[in-house]
Amino acid sequence: MSPNAYVLLGAVLFGIGAAGLLIRRSPLVMFMCIELMLNAVNVTFVAFSKMLNDVGGQVVVFFVLVVAAAEVVVGLGIIVAVMRRRSGISADDLSLMKG
Amino acid sequence: MIASLFAAQACAPSECFAVPANIAFGICALLMIGAAIKVVTETNIVHAALYLVVVLAGVGVNYLILQAEFLAVTQFLVYIGAIIVLFLFGIMLTRAPMGRSDDLDNAKLRPAGIGAAVMLLVVLGGALLSSFGETHLVFSTANSTTALSDAVFNQYLIPFEVVSVMLLAALIGAIVLARRD
Amino acid sequence: MPDFVAPTLDLHALAPEFVLAGVVCVLLLLDVVLLDRAKAIVGSIAGLGLLGSLVPILTLATSDHPTRTMFGGSYVVDSTSLLLKALFIVSAYVVVLLSTNYIGEGDYWESEYYTLLVSSVLGMTVMASARDLISIFVALELLSIPAYMLAAWSKRDGRSNEAGMKYYLMGVFASAILLYGMSLLYGWSGSTQLSEIGRAIGEKNSPAVTLGVVFVLVGFAFKVSAVPFHMWAPDTYEGAPTPVTAFLAVASKAAGFVALIQVIGQALVLRMNVMIPVVAVLAALSMTIGNLIALRQTNVIRMLAYSGIAQAGFMLAPFVASQYGGIDAIVIYLVLYAATNLGAFAVVMAIARRTRSAEISSFGGLFSYSPGLAVALSVFLASFVGIPPLGIWYGKLSVMRALIESQGRWATVLAIFVALNTAIAAYYYLNVAKTMWFDDAPEGESTPIKVPTSLRFAVGIALVATIALGVYPGPLTDAATPEATPAAAPSGR
Repeated sequence: MSPNAYVLLGAVLFGIGAAGLLIRRSPLVMFMCIELMLNAVNVTFVAFSKMLNDVGGQVVVFFVLVVAAAEVVVGLGIIVAVMRRRSGISADDLSLMKG
Repeated sequence: MIASLFAAQACAPSECFAVPANIAFGICALLMIGAAIKVVTETNIVHAALYLVVVLAGVGVNYLILQAEFLAVTQFLVYIGAIIVLFLFGIMLTRAPMGRSDDLDNAKLRPAGIGAAVMLLVVLGGALLSSFGETHLVFSTANSTTALSDAVFNQYLIPFEVVSVMLLAALIGAIVLARRD
Repeated sequence: MPDFVAPTLDLHALAPEFVLAGVVCVLLLLDVVLLDRAKAIVGSIAGLGLLGSLVPILTLATSDHPTRTMFGGSYVVDSTSLLLKALFIVSAYVVVLLSTNYIGEGDYWESEYYTLLVSSVLGMTVMASARDLISIFVALELLSIPAYMLAAWSKRDGRSNEAGMKYYLMGVFASAILLYGMSLLYGWSGSTQLSEIGRAIGEKNSPAVTLGVVFVLVGFAFKVSAVPFHMWAPDTYEGAPTPVTAFLAVASKAAGFVALIQVIGQALVLRMNVMIPVVAVLAALSMTIGNLIALRQTNVIRMLAYSGIAQAGFMLAPFVASQYGGIDAIVIYLVLYAATNLGAFAVVMAIARRTRSAEISSFGGLFSYSPGLAVALSVFLASFVGIPPLGIWYGKLSVMRALIESQGRWATVLAIFVALNTAIAAYYYLNVAKTMWFDDAPEGESTPIKVPTSLRFAVGIALVATIALGVYPGPLTDAATPEATPAAAPSGR
């Protein structure tokens, strides 16, 4: 059994996440796309870890899980701060500064 | 857990495991890709979050197939238990539109996004297949959780401590930013 | 199954990090115990704590074992990493000095602000010693996550919210790209340690390695705001509270470069045929486009942001000559750039306290009513241009020397780019100086600007560092030159 299927699944999810980040305008959905990308990375790491029979890849995933949780908390904190000032936010509305 | 189920059988784990694992993976992968596409196309933001649950659960199942039991459990607990709930709270706290909303997408960028994804996929797929096509997954009966914990508390002790400071900082900052004052 | 073996820790080598972690805890506890009374002292405590963490760095630098290795080479404390740690800590100290009045006068959350600042610095000091993918990733997140929140710190200001949001989205996206690149490198080499990865990718190339290298470099290019991944920088710099902008422009950017120094110097240098073209294109684009846009700016903070992008290009260029002292040149440039840039921010903040604006036109006639500030800012601008004997001239010299010595095709082209862009940059830097010295002061501006003591002190530190290191760069060069590291020897190619 080869790791190809798993790493390809990772690549597909990574691609969908990246495209979603370009297409979507709501910051919340953009976070979701980033979570997709991070999960794609994790699947890839675990598949490689299994292929190499080395635990390092699993350790990376462990840390990425924790970091992703912290990132979501911070992101939501920032969104809530933005939302206190205006409602119905989309990334296109973020244009007080241009240059 | 799964590893021990198969260890009892008479054949090498990698061989016995292959057929059921491949079937499970196939079903799982199709569901995940479908759900991922829904996450980036769905016009209802709550539905997008729920489709994300399917992808995350699929990732957890993949971890189980790949014998990373600890990560699988953590995936279910942290991602589906905590992060998705946070997302749903975020949707409600920010009074984001709950029903359909047509301005969730940037229609102008849609062709660019699809083009970028397809290109990325072709390049990545080609590179991965040509680099790792000849390799094999090594299934074993050993428990990877022990190895993982040994590694985290020995070789990777410093990142572990660093992550704890990071969680503290994220907690404090998020409270300050999100609170009303 | 072997039993768990506890790792052997060299506590002396970890002492600076311990002190910083202690400062984080003390700041939090003070706020809990003293409540409102804490406001008056948290700034001083943060500053003293940062200075306190310099003590173990000094004892380490003068100890008998200047190079200490832990965790099988994953964590290294040597003279270069000590220099970089000192750079981060001193920069953060200057940022604390800049913040004292700014944060005290606005309606900010002070002790939380300093807590986040110090924890970000802790991430940077870990980054200076990290030698494996996991430590680098985790350190990068510890230094970025507080920075995202600090950029959004003035909650009532829509522009600050926007700055934080843009910085956050870009930063997280960059992390995802970086991680994907790391996964490819890990899959090919079977190790998370940079030296092992270098060995594996040096022996044999594959499309996955090429993509991995490109993804990792693109991920870091976002962090150091290299063109074409710079879109977030000007808006974030303009919107964030000014002391935070100084922190992002100096310490955070330096940390991105330190990560690049580890990754390129230890691993990617052994896969030069992929690494060099990517880095060279990023460097040339950053220099040229950063400068061309900086020419059109009317706001000093935005001008500093775009000039920072151009300076990032100057600092990326020597990676092409990694095996000919290029990396030492980057370390030297980073230190000098930090001194000059912090000084420039300090003066701009002092002036903006009076004029409430950072438009270049509001600097008119500064010399006539506040000669001290005008002279200080002129020194920093001249250092940016590269006029000897002020600070950055020596950095530019080191960069050019490394590029020319390596004699590669890309290096020669980049040397030409550096020369041309130094000339372009001189125009807009000196334009600000000209406004200060020769234009008329706006109506009613005749009394000298009152500068608070902490800002005065910050400008003083930056001035001394800029001039002293420019006149006498010997010690800096010694500290930046590592004693024969494995990657310095061009083997295994």
